[in-house]
Amino acid sequence: MDMFLQACVNGLLMGGFYSLMGMGQNIIFGVMKIVNFCHGEMLMVGMYLTFILYTVFGIDPYLAVPIVAVVMFCLGAVIQHTLITPSLGTKSFTNLLFLTVGLGLLLSNGALVIFGSDYRSIRTAYSQTYIHLGPVTMALPRLISFGVLVVITIALFVFLKYTTVGKQIRAVSQNSVGAEVVGIEVKKIYILTYGLGVALAGIAGGLLTQFYTIFPTAGASFGFRALIVVVVGGLGSIPGAFLAGIFLGLLETMSALFISPSYSDLIVFTTFIIILVFRQTIIARRK
Amino acid sequence: MDSRRAVKVYHRNVAILVGLILLVFALIPMVVTSPYILNIFVLVFYMSTLSMAWNLLGGMTGQNSLGHAAYMGLGAYACCLLVVKTGANPWIAAVFCMIVVGLVAGIVFYPCFILRGPYFTLVSIAFGESIRQIIINSEFFGRASGVGLPFGGDSWLNFRFASKVPYYYVGMIMLIAIYVLMKKIDRSKIGFALKTIREDEDAAAAIGINPTRYKILAVVISAMVAALVGFFYASYIRYIDPDLMIQAKSTESVLPAVVGGAAYVEGPIVGGLLMIPLSEYLRANFSSILPGINMLMYAVVLLVVIRFRPTGILGWYMHSRVKQWIDEKILKKPPVEVLEEAELLEYGKKEA
Repeated sequence: MDMFLQACVNGLLMGGFYSLMGMGQNIIFGVMKIVNFCHGEMLMVGMYLTFILYTVFGIDPYLAVPIVAVVMFCLGAVIQHTLITPSLGTKSFTNLLFLTVGLGLLLSNGALVIFGSDYRSIRTAYSQTYIHLGPVTMALPRLISFGVLVVITIALFVFLKYTTVGKQIRAVSQNSVGAEVVGIEVKKIYILTYGLGVALAGIAGGLLTQFYTIFPTAGASFGFRALIVVVVGGLGSIPGAFLAGIFLGLLETMSALFISPSYSDLIVFTTFIIILVFRQTIIARRK
Repeated sequence: MDSRRAVKVYHRNVAILVGLILLVFALIPMVVTSPYILNIFVLVFYMSTLSMAWNLLGGMTGQNSLGHAAYMGLGAYACCLLVVKTGANPWIAAVFCMIVVGLVAGIVFYPCFILRGPYFTLVSIAFGESIRQIIINSEFFGRASGVGLPFGGDSWLNFRFASKVPYYYVGMIMLIAIYVLMKKIDRSKIGFALKTIREDEDAAAAIGINPTRYKILAVVISAMVAALVGFFYASYIRYIDPDLMIQAKSTESVLPAVVGGAAYVEGPIVGGLLMIPLSEYLRANFSSILPGINMLMYAVVLLVVIRFRPTGILGWYMHSRVKQWIDEKILKKPPVEVLEEAELLEYGKKEA
């Protein structure tokens, strides 16, 4: 029972990261209808940024989060403006796909060239602090990170639901031509959306640094899980993405606990294929 | 009559050019003795073939798979296991592995073709990763440590050589055979059906093309070619492990096609001939000081091509002055009207 509770809590804490990644992917996919295959690499960039801020400037990883968010937003905006927006015009799905794949290659191999393949980590004064809650033990950084994640999720939900810009983003994701007709500057919204999505991935990376090793391909597994979150949680739904992320985290720890840790990846991937095929079949039948 | 002669001259010139290129490639192993250079050529041959397999599904049908390394790996495993466990002849194993992988791809992707666009790509990634996980977790497949093929003396029967020259020729023949096959598909009814599906699947269904049937056909042929490459790889390297199927390998197998021009059958070959030697050169000379520099270069080239030449290098060449000059001055290509006239004459002769 204790093991089960511990696994639940671990799954929940990990699932929060999948949700945050998924939300970024979700708004990008919703607005531009492209899959951002370099989302995981953006998380990795966020990790390295936090690492640099900590080792060079001595900034605490949690205080670095706003800086990382701003830098990543700018990076995303520049990429969108110079690379993705011009390619959106060609309407070639293959090209858009390999544009983001190429960006992913560029970022992960760029990190490999700059930082080498060494595993790095950040150890602060409170990294090894543990909180005991009945039978469950939690590392303090994981708990803080989860708290930050929940706050960001709520903030994002409120932003998309009630602010003017948020409403514009939702309008573009529903119908970009219609949005342009009523006077929304779609290209600006694209830049904003991509920046926001990338910033969310960067924040997730920054929050991960204290209990995850930093290496050039660290983002790959998170990147694919973000896509799973989008597909399972439903397009354009922030609460859906949040729940799907938590579900994914729990699925991983539960399969590790009840079946075998080495099968957890396999179970995640096959569950994903089955859910996707079933969902699309139901959608196709309804038509 | 004059037009027919002009066309004949043009066709003869094209044949001479193609023959010359083939001759140069056939003579390379007699001039170059360095195994390192020959290895790069073998790499170009099998990577381009794999990329052509992808191109049938991605470039021609518009189903962007990112799991082709899994088909190749599965083919390599099927072939190695058959040889190691039953002592079968590798050439029989090649046929066996193509059938097995074709069946697996057909069965797995039959329900998945309800998915379109990005969803298909996601499933192909998940499929590739699942296969890799199954192999890592299974005793039968040798877990993470992989499978090795037996060593021994040179023999054609066992497709086993110490020198790289036979592999060079077999790789080259494989590349040419698959190219001819792809060209045939491109010009056939299947090819036109696949291209219609790429442009608009609903319209294709409306004019009587069964999208599911043709997509299954494309995925099975593509997977079988990838399995053939897997057999070649296994026979050449003589050792395989699950790392053969990692996501990065799938991406790597697509890059020649996208850089060369995914809409053209020749695209993967052009891309492979340009990119792989460059990548290998960078890997050999700089990877000790700057690891990852070869893939970084790949990524930069890919981004530049997609941003500025969205149809790839071949797409750019097809509309460039260089091609026009070569066509007019060297190949003596007659104007379009003459070509059409000759075609009409030919058609009239057949009617009569």
